[in-house]
Amino acid sequence: MAVSNLISSQLQLVFEDGLDDSGRPVLRNKNFNNVKTDATPDQLHAVATAISGLQQRPLHGVERNDASELFES
Amino acid sequence: MAKKLELKFLNEENRTVTISVDQPIEPVDAVAVNAAMDEIITQGCFFSSGGNLISKKEARIVERNVFDVQL
Repeated sequence: MAVSNLISSQLQLVFEDGLDDSGRPVLRNKNFNNVKTDATPDQLHAVATAISGLQQRPLHGVERNDASELFES
Repeated sequence: MAKKLELKFLNEENRTVTISVDQPIEPVDAVAVNAAMDEIITQGCFFSSGGNLISKKEARIVERNVFDVQL
């Protein structure tokens, strides 16, 4: 049986950076590495809110990117 | 020109860890920056090669200017 093991996490803030020609918001990602793999959604959301409050662009969303390695057990 | 807000923390080995934020709100609100840095330390969701972030070191606005040189 194969199992997975979480090896790294990344916090991704998605900001709106103006509108494109058809009026849709242009989204820009800002990534923060070195997130603990055991960080909770509450922790990450609090940090994302704090960081977002220091810059000008509206926050569109907060994402978490996890990488896992798979191996045969 | 492009400006960044750099938040500098010290980790458990007393080494500097920087988190940078693009397009900072200006003029900078020192109270807000302090509060955000405290929140990052409190939540403790970042690690570094020298351990957790444990204290604030400094915060600064860095501006990058680019001038083309005629070749």
